[in-house]
Amino acid sequence: MVYTKKNPALLIMGVIFVAIAILAGSGAADGVIGFLKIKKYVGEMVGMGYAFGAIGVLVGAWHWWGKHEEGNLDYYLSSIAGGIFILLIAMVVRWFGAPLVAVASKGLGTVMADKYLHDVLGLNYVVLGILAGIITVNVFGIPKWAENGVRLSRLGLKTGVILLGTLYSLAELAALGKLSVVMVGFFVLGAVGLVLWLGRRRKIPNSMGGVLSAGMGVCGVSATVAAAPVVQAKSVEIAYTIGTILIWGVGCMFLFPVIGHILDLGYIQFGAWAGTGILNSAQVAGAALAYQPDGIETLKVAEIFNITRVLFLPIIVLWLAVWYVRLEETTAGPQVNVGTVIFEKFPVFVLGFILMFALSSTGVFAPAQHYKGKYFDNDIAAGKLLKDEQAATLSAEAGKLQRADRKEALASLIQNRKVMTIDDETVIRGIFNANVLSKDANKILKTATKVVRHTAKKISKFRQWITLLFAFGLTGLGMQITLAAMKQAGGQPLVIGGIVGTTKAVLSLIVILLFVSETI
Amino acid sequence: MTSKDSQDIDLQEEAGAKFHRGSALSIFASDRREDFMALLFAMLIALGVYLLVS
Repeated sequence: MVYTKKNPALLIMGVIFVAIAILAGSGAADGVIGFLKIKKYVGEMVGMGYAFGAIGVLVGAWHWWGKHEEGNLDYYLSSIAGGIFILLIAMVVRWFGAPLVAVASKGLGTVMADKYLHDVLGLNYVVLGILAGIITVNVFGIPKWAENGVRLSRLGLKTGVILLGTLYSLAELAALGKLSVVMVGFFVLGAVGLVLWLGRRRKIPNSMGGVLSAGMGVCGVSATVAAAPVVQAKSVEIAYTIGTILIWGVGCMFLFPVIGHILDLGYIQFGAWAGTGILNSAQVAGAALAYQPDGIETLKVAEIFNITRVLFLPIIVLWLAVWYVRLEETTAGPQVNVGTVIFEKFPVFVLGFILMFALSSTGVFAPAQHYKGKYFDNDIAAGKLLKDEQAATLSAEAGKLQRADRKEALASLIQNRKVMTIDDETVIRGIFNANVLSKDANKILKTATKVVRHTAKKISKFRQWITLLFAFGLTGLGMQITLAAMKQAGGQPLVIGGIVGTTKAVLSLIVILLFVSETI
Repeated sequence: MTSKDSQDIDLQEEAGAKFHRGSALSIFASDRREDFMALLFAMLIALGVYLLVS
């Protein structure tokens, strides 16, 4: 079969990308850019516009006029049309659609606690991109020439998750890792146990209960497919499970950010909640980016939880194998080797994330001790040292400090006119966060810590790549959310899934509100 | 592709079972191959960033 369609669509999309780059770069679109307040995207429009415009024009010309034969080259290159299709929709939504919604929403005025309607509903480029994808597939249909490329979206998401590994420092990962193991361990094992228990009470087949428990507990479709052979699940049971997960996950993806904004959750709180309560990896990423579209702190937290959950997959598969054999009272039980299933189905991209983190920890992208992409270096210009009057202000207030470490750090700062060590910097941050000094003194301290913190350029570039990959992947994800897939859900699995999913989401939110603060 | 045909975009057959995979489609023959391709792309991007960003 020849997959490439003789069609001008890719060529036209390439021209559109180039046109956006020219209009944004030349200043011809300044009126629109000013109206929509999208100056921050101009660099992106120009860079991406030319890069993807060139790809679109060149490959598009080949698609339209070239001669195509069956084979791998045809199969993989045919996907570029769909890939550019997703990207164009994602970027048009990011550059123009979401800003237009924001302008309209601001025109309506604030609606709740000084927040605008689009903030409360989370109508940003991530949510609107997913919605655009859902509308495209369910209302208009995916064009034939784009069908193959729509399958690229998960590759984008996985690449993004692996690259996320570059952004964590050891300190962050250690703190988040401990929290996620406790939270995910409790809620994943709890959800699996609850599904199995409810399944027995409601008399669904053990194979149905087994596969549903993996899907509801661990990580959506991957876990469902991994557990299916172990509990000898039938195709209709897999379909029921995926339908349930999809309905639940899509609902959560849109609902969690709204609840998060209403409760005013911090990034760590929301990331932990989404990573625990939402089932599917892509939907976790969607909710996290929907909550914080212009930064990826929430995504970073949510993905640690998500990855921790995926790491529980082997435990769950083993548990289900033992459980199923015991209940079915047959030594023949699953005609599969559990070890082989775990090996074959374990998501390698999670190991890629760990590999990328390990690589980043060597300091190749930023000094190894970086925290959130910033690192300590007090080799600063003379103009950035404390001025005499600033030192005098701090000296006058030093008496307000009680703790010895704070007194020492402040004395060192006053004496050297700059922060001398990373430990001193941490202590000084503690001083201004504690608000024990005057406003002026706190401002001086903030500036003193800021000048010794530097942004790692490579880390910034990774953030841009990750944002792009997730915007692409999530818009493509929307194009795969079909009504037919959701219609698979129903009967007892939907009831059990609903009970367990709601219980997990509500309980994890309560635990997070009670025990997780913004500063880990 | 019409919207009706598009409903089958996620129809997948795995281990003899046919079902809608629902937002988990891949262009590759297996999830494992997709994982390795994602790893390869990530490494290429990382290499590019390492070499080109000062």
